[in-house]
Amino acid sequence: MIVLQGVSKTYEGFTALSNVSVSIARGEFAFLIGTNGAGKTTLLRVLLREEPFDQGVVLVNGVDISTIRGASLTKFRRKIGMVFQDTRLLPNATVSENVGLPLKVRGRSNRDVSMAVNEVLKRVALLEKASRFPKQLSGGEQRKVALARAIISRPEILLCDEPTDSINPLHAREIIELLLDINADGVTTLVATHDSDIVNDLRRRVIRMDAGGVLEDMAVGVFNTS
Amino acid sequence: MKTSLYSLRYVLGSAVNGLWRNRTMSIGAIITTTIMLITLAAFLAINDTLNQMVSALGRKSNLIAYVRDDARPSDVTRIIRDLQGQSGVAEVVFVTKEDALRIFQERFTDQTDVIDILQANPLPASVELRMENPAILPSLADELRELSDTFETVVVPLDVVERLIAVSNVSRVAGTVMVIALTGVTLFVVVNTIRVAVYARRQEIEIMKLVGATDWFVRGPFIIEGAFIGVFGATMAAGAMVALYAQVGPSITQIISFLPINTNVAYVRSLALFIVLVGLVVGSIGSYFSVRRYLAV
Repeated sequence: MIVLQGVSKTYEGFTALSNVSVSIARGEFAFLIGTNGAGKTTLLRVLLREEPFDQGVVLVNGVDISTIRGASLTKFRRKIGMVFQDTRLLPNATVSENVGLPLKVRGRSNRDVSMAVNEVLKRVALLEKASRFPKQLSGGEQRKVALARAIISRPEILLCDEPTDSINPLHAREIIELLLDINADGVTTLVATHDSDIVNDLRRRVIRMDAGGVLEDMAVGVFNTS
Repeated sequence: MKTSLYSLRYVLGSAVNGLWRNRTMSIGAIITTTIMLITLAAFLAINDTLNQMVSALGRKSNLIAYVRDDARPSDVTRIIRDLQGQSGVAEVVFVTKEDALRIFQERFTDQTDVIDILQANPLPASVELRMENPAILPSLADELRELSDTFETVVVPLDVVERLIAVSNVSRVAGTVMVIALTGVTLFVVVNTIRVAVYARRQEIEIMKLVGATDWFVRGPFIIEGAFIGVFGATMAAGAMVALYAQVGPSITQIISFLPINTNVAYVRSLALFIVLVGLVVGSIGSYFSVRRYLAV
């Protein structure tokens, strides 16, 4: 369960989040939509505790995340899978190494990591590219690798920032189907996007943001491009 | 326990990978470390040579106490024994009246008739001191002058001694200041080189933190890499220094014989070990602090 109450955040005079209050139930799938600068990325970064906020309360499974420090922060982040807008894959690491990183940092054995990597790469249909480096992949493939890295540790919450941005519709559709599949396993999934086709097709909950605030929260929403 | 072993293996493997995949940066850092540590080693050797020179000059400065003809031999013997046990005194030589006459005759072969005219040996016996620490000469001379029953006069080349003490003090202070300053500069340059290498990989650190790595898990490979860069660079510096000592040291000692270059194997070995230790410490500490600033994610 994710709860944000009156959350605000400013960067040197620019309001990134303005009094945001929203709740997302365990296992729910929701889209965060809005134009560039609406506050979608900041909201996801706040939830990962990558970015501090100025005001309000953020509760994840009942825990006020602003109070989490040190080793507890590490434990907290292990419950979350994040697909970054810029993928943030390690350029000098292979696909397998990138995907296996969340398990490596948990101290899992090479054998366990290798098995999990194979399984998850099979799921995103990239097994044959396991030994490639990120720069040898297309944009869509890189996003799939980022998604594989986010889900390999079986997180409770999956946060995706523009997972279908700048990739062809076929790859975009594959990624969304994967997200739905992961959500079906009970993973709370929050997807920031400005891909109207996907939002309109899926007819899931939509939280529309603008100028850092929540404009609309629709149980079954559509992306009104006007 | 098993998890810790897997983590340790990962940290070591990651350090090796990091060094190889960022080899341009690693080589740059190793070269910088080598150059800085060669400079430090050279300065330490020069400083040691200077100190040796000052000590050698100190050993040449003498105090001569002329013994009264009527002094009791037992008193002279006791004083000589006391002086031999005194710290700062390198050597005590007793020159008998006969020795003094012989030395006079050897030095002034054309004036032997002077002694013949006197028909007796007018030269006094003397106690000559060669000093390890010339700084104590003035006070020692005063003590000996108080023994007027034994010594006629006590001669100290005070102006030479004072200059020597001044040179010795300046050399010691300047040497220490320079060694500290150069160590500081070495630390600064090496740490900044490692910092540049770490900066180039800040995204890697950030990602590891965001996927749930602990601080030590992120830090480990960087500290090992830093230690390796430091030790490797220092080993090259130490190797160059040892080779230089072996090849050039004896030639310089032959050409400039008054220069007391310490080519003692134990000294060269300890200097080389010190340089390697500096490399290890600077490399690991440099990495520790360089990574720390990027861990606050």
